[in-house]
Amino acid sequence: MDLLSFSREELDALRLSLVVASVAVLGSLPFGVGLGWVLARKDFRGKGLVETLVHLPLVLPPVVTGYVLLVLFGRRGWIGPYLEDWLGLRLVFDWKGAALASAVMAFPLLVRAVRLGFAAVDPRLEEAARTLGAGRLDAFATVTLPLAWGGVAAGCVLAFARSLGEFGATLMIAGSIPGETRTMPLQIYSMLESPEGGAGAGAGRLVALAVVVSVAAVAAGAWLGRSPRASGAP
Amino acid sequence: MAREEPQSLGSAVSGLTLSARHRYPEGFELEAELEAEGGVTAVFGPSGSGKSTVLRIAAGILRPLEGRVSLGGATLLDTARGICLPPEKRRIGLVFQDHRLFPHLSVEGNLRYGLRRRPARRFPFERVVEVLELGGLLERDPASLSGGERQRVALGRAILRGPELLLLDEPLAAVDAGRKDRILAYLERAVSEWSLPTLLVSHDQADVRRLADRVVVLEAGRVVASGPTASTLDRAVISAMRSAPGPVNVLRVDGVAEVEGHLEGSAAGQRFQLPAGLPVTGAGVYVQFLPKDVTLARADVSGLSVRNHLRGAVREVAALPGHAYVAVDLGGGQAVWAEVTLDAVRELGLAPGREVVCLIKTTGVEALGGSLAGRA
Repeated sequence: MDLLSFSREELDALRLSLVVASVAVLGSLPFGVGLGWVLARKDFRGKGLVETLVHLPLVLPPVVTGYVLLVLFGRRGWIGPYLEDWLGLRLVFDWKGAALASAVMAFPLLVRAVRLGFAAVDPRLEEAARTLGAGRLDAFATVTLPLAWGGVAAGCVLAFARSLGEFGATLMIAGSIPGETRTMPLQIYSMLESPEGGAGAGAGRLVALAVVVSVAAVAAGAWLGRSPRASGAP
Repeated sequence: MAREEPQSLGSAVSGLTLSARHRYPEGFELEAELEAEGGVTAVFGPSGSGKSTVLRIAAGILRPLEGRVSLGGATLLDTARGICLPPEKRRIGLVFQDHRLFPHLSVEGNLRYGLRRRPARRFPFERVVEVLELGGLLERDPASLSGGERQRVALGRAILRGPELLLLDEPLAAVDAGRKDRILAYLERAVSEWSLPTLLVSHDQADVRRLADRVVVLEAGRVVASGPTASTLDRAVISAMRSAPGPVNVLRVDGVAEVEGHLEGSAAGQRFQLPAGLPVTGAGVYVQFLPKDVTLARADVSGLSVRNHLRGAVREVAALPGHAYVAVDLGGGQAVWAEVTLDAVRELGLAPGREVVCLIKTTGVEALGGSLAGRA
């Protein structure tokens, strides 16, 4: 069997994994950047509680997180019916649900890296920008964000890699529908479970592919995260 | 620049007026009121006296508990009416003590930052670069600049924002002594080129005497004196003399030229000889010397090795245990402090109005550098 001859199912799983991980990262990025900034710069009552909530997916069993998502976004959940009625958005047994599960699971990693990135930026530079005529948002976009770029990029890579590997929560909310919600980890699992012969070799190919994609993602992140100006790189 | 000019009345509308009360959680309390019109106004005081707090309130970085700030007749802050314009809406440029250049932008990117954001007034970029001699630095990375170069870039960046008031926070504190003269010269040049009203925060007597037209003296969060630089500073220094090192003499010497193998010029219209070997090329310099290098005589005496004999009249005598400082007005707004014994005060009959001659040893005189040649 040729090592590079992927089956239709396997290619679907790869494509789906990349789409789900990309959507998960891009969708959660604005929230991650906002929360990372708030946690780095602001002190407020209940900050500890917010931090704990954000980190919860990291310590909870993924299946529990998936169950919570199902309770919230299920068709008879707390929020699910409204999303479906008002926005026509269905998450259960849908790739968008898989993206949500990935985003939630990867969110702690994203926030953590972004927060470290912002914490490393001297807030007095924002003051300087303000005295030079830049409004709050302008100063953020032209001084703080570019300087925190390394942290944001690192957060995206970690979140992307975490999303590629998401299994438990995805299975709970999106199931494992071939071509619809069956991402690479689910595909590998189902191939190993399958009674047919040769599934082991196919699973091995997919595992190798997952390693290659993950390494490529990390390398891309390191490249993106390099300092915008050559000197003074961290 | 350190001339004392009569205070122009009715120009308060064009300047800054600030009154504020603020208390930090650590307990420090500021309660100050001050005005800055055209020219350079210095906020002088020891560290921890609240000087920087005043600047931060003026710039809008710090909102005081209570206060009012207006610039050119426009209200920037009025806590009673709930008005507090953010820094970007104030036409004020601030040069920070620690420069705060943006590390991700080139020098040119830093300079253009304020220029791009609708400056209140427009100063030509090329001219600012020329006056501050930044041409060779534009492509450089801020991290690769020396302290003096960073200070110049920070100054240029604040000027290009086109402010109606320039705030300088200890602009010379982070600069080593050797480069200080050059930075002072750039500051003078910039302030006179664009006639920017300037509020300068400093704890250095000599810097304030040289740069400022007026001074506001802060102590422990309170204004203890304000007015024309020399006389105000002298009074403040006298009141603090017991603990402080005493006054420092800063004289402006014009028309420096080489005469019969030595350098001389005129201070307050009188001949003044400068130490040899000074690289003086301009028309004028500032010199600095200590009161203990000044001897007082009732009448001019000949046959002395001392080269400089300046005539003047005693303005005040500050007696301390063991010795006294005597201020002598030379005319033209310049004055010299002499340190003498209490016996000498009695025997020479030193009292306000008494005419004396100040004998100043050339070897004790240190030049602060030439800058008055200017370019303006």
